[in-house]
Amino acid sequence: MESPYAIEMLNITKRFPGIIANDNITLQLRKGEIHALLGENGAGKSTLMSVLFGLYQPEEGIIKKDGVEVQIKDPNDANALGIGMVHQHFKLVECFTVLDNIIMGVEPVGHLGFLRKKEAREKVLELSKKYGLEVDPDAKIEDITVGMQQRTEILKMLYRDNEILIFDEPTAVLTPQEIDELMQIMRNLAAEGKSILFISHKLAEIMAVADRCTVLRKGKYIGTVNTKDTTMEELSAMMVGRNVNFHVEKKPAHPGDAILEVRHMTVASKTHNNNAVKDVSFKVRRGEIVCIAGIDGNGQSELVYGLTGLEPLTSGEIILDGKDITKASIRKRSVAGMSHIPEDRHKHGLVLDYSLEYNMILQTYFESRFTDNIGFLRRKNIRNYSDKLIDQYDVRSGQGSITMARSMSGGNQQKAIIARELDKQPELLVAVQPTRGLDVGAIEYIHKQLVAQRDAGKAVLLISLELDEVMDVPDRILVMYEGEIVGELDPKKTTQEELGLYMAGAKRDEVKA
Amino acid sequence: MLLLIQYTLIFASVLLLVALGGCISEHSGIINLGLEGIMVVGALGGALVMSNLSTLPPALMVILALLASIILGMLYSCLLGVAAIHFKADQTLVGTAMNLLATAAATVFVKAMNTAMNPDNHSSEIEYVAGRKMFIVNINGFEFNWFMPLAVIVVILVYLFLYKNKLGLRLMACGEHPQAADSVGINVYKMRWMGVLISGALAGMGGLCYILAGVSLWKFENGVAGFGFLALAVMIFGQWKPGRIALAALLFGLFRALSNTYMGFPALVSLNLPSNVYNMMPYIVCLIVLAFTSKTSRAPKAEGIPYDKGSR
Amino acid sequence: MKNLLKRPGVQAFVASVICILLGLIIGYIVLLFINPQGAWQSITDVVRNFFTWSRPPQRLKQFGNTLAKTIPLIMCSLSILFSYKVGLFNIGAAGQYVAGACASLYAALAWGWGWLPCMIFAIVAGALLGAIVGFLKSYCNVNEVISGIMLNWIALYTTNTILSNVKETASPYTLYLNKENPSALLPTAGLDQLFNKNTYVTIAVPLALIIAIAVAVILTKTRFGYELRATGLNKNAARYAGMAENRNIILTLMISGALAGLGASMLYQTGYMRWECTQSSVPAMGFNGIAAAFLGGLNPIGAVFSSFFIQHITDGGQYVNTNYYSSQISDVISSVIIYLCGFVLFIKLTINRMIKPSKEKKGEKK
Repeated sequence: MESPYAIEMLNITKRFPGIIANDNITLQLRKGEIHALLGENGAGKSTLMSVLFGLYQPEEGIIKKDGVEVQIKDPNDANALGIGMVHQHFKLVECFTVLDNIIMGVEPVGHLGFLRKKEAREKVLELSKKYGLEVDPDAKIEDITVGMQQRTEILKMLYRDNEILIFDEPTAVLTPQEIDELMQIMRNLAAEGKSILFISHKLAEIMAVADRCTVLRKGKYIGTVNTKDTTMEELSAMMVGRNVNFHVEKKPAHPGDAILEVRHMTVASKTHNNNAVKDVSFKVRRGEIVCIAGIDGNGQSELVYGLTGLEPLTSGEIILDGKDITKASIRKRSVAGMSHIPEDRHKHGLVLDYSLEYNMILQTYFESRFTDNIGFLRRKNIRNYSDKLIDQYDVRSGQGSITMARSMSGGNQQKAIIARELDKQPELLVAVQPTRGLDVGAIEYIHKQLVAQRDAGKAVLLISLELDEVMDVPDRILVMYEGEIVGELDPKKTTQEELGLYMAGAKRDEVKA
Repeated sequence: MLLLIQYTLIFASVLLLVALGGCISEHSGIINLGLEGIMVVGALGGALVMSNLSTLPPALMVILALLASIILGMLYSCLLGVAAIHFKADQTLVGTAMNLLATAAATVFVKAMNTAMNPDNHSSEIEYVAGRKMFIVNINGFEFNWFMPLAVIVVILVYLFLYKNKLGLRLMACGEHPQAADSVGINVYKMRWMGVLISGALAGMGGLCYILAGVSLWKFENGVAGFGFLALAVMIFGQWKPGRIALAALLFGLFRALSNTYMGFPALVSLNLPSNVYNMMPYIVCLIVLAFTSKTSRAPKAEGIPYDKGSR
Repeated sequence: MKNLLKRPGVQAFVASVICILLGLIIGYIVLLFINPQGAWQSITDVVRNFFTWSRPPQRLKQFGNTLAKTIPLIMCSLSILFSYKVGLFNIGAAGQYVAGACASLYAALAWGWGWLPCMIFAIVAGALLGAIVGFLKSYCNVNEVISGIMLNWIALYTTNTILSNVKETASPYTLYLNKENPSALLPTAGLDQLFNKNTYVTIAVPLALIIAIAVAVILTKTRFGYELRATGLNKNAARYAGMAENRNIILTLMISGALAGLGASMLYQTGYMRWECTQSSVPAMGFNGIAAAFLGGLNPIGAVFSSFFIQHITDGGQYVNTNYYSSQISDVISSVIIYLCGFVLFIKLTINRMIKPSKEKKGEKK
């Protein structure tokens, strides 16, 4: 009898030193279905997928393909079984063309391994037509949109005749409209008989596209449900184990005078010839949270670079608390009252091989309380200060102040950064994706801190890619599209759909500063 | 003038071979700072064949000398491969150690060999007059060296390898985005080994070519005078692309050739500059060129970063 | 025992000892291949260095010679480790050392300066060369290894040209310092008496130790050191924290260059060596400094000991039986040691793995 399942992972257990990443997990993917895998960060989704791809060998459990047990020792085995994956961070070589990326690893070759690209191109164009995946095979990855990069990844799987397609958080980088397109593509693929595993923590998308949903929590299997028979609330409860407040509690804002005023800011792009930020003007006032929303790569990063002094402005000016800081150094801006929670805490926020206490003074080490007149560090003061912050902001670490930052959890690393930046008593807090990659508890904590900052009469500029965050946290939303601010929205009055139209550039207003 | 062209071409051939070696290694993701050392070892292999087997028919001797330099170069490059690919060692440190080791070991070896043959001979020199002649065709005073066409062929082969062959595509993927390469089943370690070994072969050949450039006797205590690093500069100036590297090699070759031949140009002699100025010329030109071209570097993105299968 | 092995300092020491032992074993194997008969004798002679002399006064004198040459090596290794803390590989130390030699010898022989001005001039020359590397790195993005190598050669040829003006007519060597300008010789301050009247042992010895300690203090206890190490560990975070990256790179390489230049002055101003104006390769001192820096676990105090060891076996090389072997066998050993230093991280990981099981058991008991 033929098995109804394309792939089955039965009773998988995978342990790492000190932690059980997968504890007796079972996942059964039916042929031709769209099956969602739901769980928070750290629930064990990526470990499970790594097991499926042979990157890890599980201690217990078996994998069956079409009802037959199989051994998967490395990605090649997975590929041979027809399993393909679109990774959250695309695995594309930026300076190669779309075509080269698609054929890489399974190149059609003639004598001595010389490439036969014509053959490959025909097959790619044929697939792209069949499934409605529009791409330009000769464009370089670095020059094309994120959407097209994702289509390239999908074509990569189809080119390999994969039957089991895995999508790892595929919507994080897309506009709502692009998300709709992707959903349609997934439905098309399923209709053609492909089996799809859809990894996500976005409930609405799962309800919209998936047939069934398996939920993981803290490495454990919670259950599998038909999406038709469940609700978002039920799924959410399964995912987090308790009912979560979806909305950030906050009182109405009472904005005061402007703390930050940006006038006609233009910042050149490092990778392209045109400007990344084009003639942008806006204000952030005391006692409000302003959010810059937009799809990744529309100039938000460059806006932050220009604001914090990492990149020079081509033109325009920045006024902070009445002072012109357009040409001021990073240090001067910091001293003038700007704090900054950087987007990438490992790359920019922390020196991972410094102790926690040394990280706590990264922005203030030169002040006289930490350095004496001849340039020696006042180590006792540093220790006391660090202990105080650890206590006040509840930063948890193995050995307190002397813990190496590298050995701390992501949430506590972020807490340390927040402690450091908020304790400076900044007039303006620039927070760039402050909740990225954190679990629900930490996200709640950070949102509360942002609101507390606002209620204390400070200005907060939040840059976010998460729609939920954009809708819930700020008092005003500015939408950025291709380097320009194309709309100002009131989160209480707008909808996700309207926001999406602005983010996709389909709608725009003339915004005055 | 003819002499200048001759020296330009032969030094350009050296730089080209070695720079292409560096280029392939970097495209696979490994920075090969040990090129200089590999050149010494390759030169040693070639010199040994030339001094001991010069009674063989010329064609056979030439091929054997080439093979010796290639094989020794590849073997020596394994030191880099093991350390950088499997033990995640600091590639700069390992390359530097290889450069120091090559000169020291070659000196010890040649001295021991010379002393064994003649107890009074403690020099680190090898002579290869007869062997060198077999590499050279004299055309009206122009010493045509078989390495000149060889270098041209190698450029073409490297171009075809990198841009038209599946191995080249895979190799470059490992230098740009090893995680992506791994995810489609390409063995990053294997590709990097290939890059390192090819660079060893090319640098070994380059070493042989270097000691054939003007002399018939080589003192191994002297190493190869920074040529491995000049080749790296050629590679950077050539933006990691074979065609441009060829042009860059010609430019640097010209300046290196000047120090051998400036005496033949009355205009230069009348300037009355110390000969050391000409000796310095290639290095100074290199610094200036790098100062103007390094800003917009298109180096492979993942070069110098050890690949760890676990971290993704 | 296991608790001891957990300490990073102890681990670094163990790793260094392993590198040394392996280096010596490989050196021994090379000797065995060349000629099995005298190999053991020769390798022990390399390790014994001045102890091969039977009479204590002679030993002492030779010990002094080794010490005199250890000093510049300490300075070169400090130069390299200082810039390595900022993530820069200052292979140009060799050239900065050459520039220092050029400046101090020329000032002493052509202008008749006293020892202190000569020394300061050497520091300035080295710092200047370091500043060029720093400038190229921070403003033109030129890899410091390549620009360093190029400057090594430029410095060598320039020095050969300049010092030709103060060389003996009959030889390629510069004039004798003790005959032409004894005031440029470093004062011995009575230290020569401790080493059987070896006048090459000068105040450079205590000075080098003081500088090593100063470097250690700067790196670990000061604001400047805090900035430098932060930059070396995470360049991007340092920028975010408003540290002046370009200024720090240039400053670091200037200090590195100054250390190497000072090292040269500390050797050539003892009169132990003269410059050979026809030399066609860069002196090995700067490169041996790399060995010493890494062997010393990139710790300034460790560098003092490792420098002495490297110089000890380098000098020991001259005691090998030259009927079969050559003194470069010590260069082979020290370059093998540098190579093995690339594996230090791996050795430390292995030590950690070995002691880990006991740690986990403890955790379970709790």
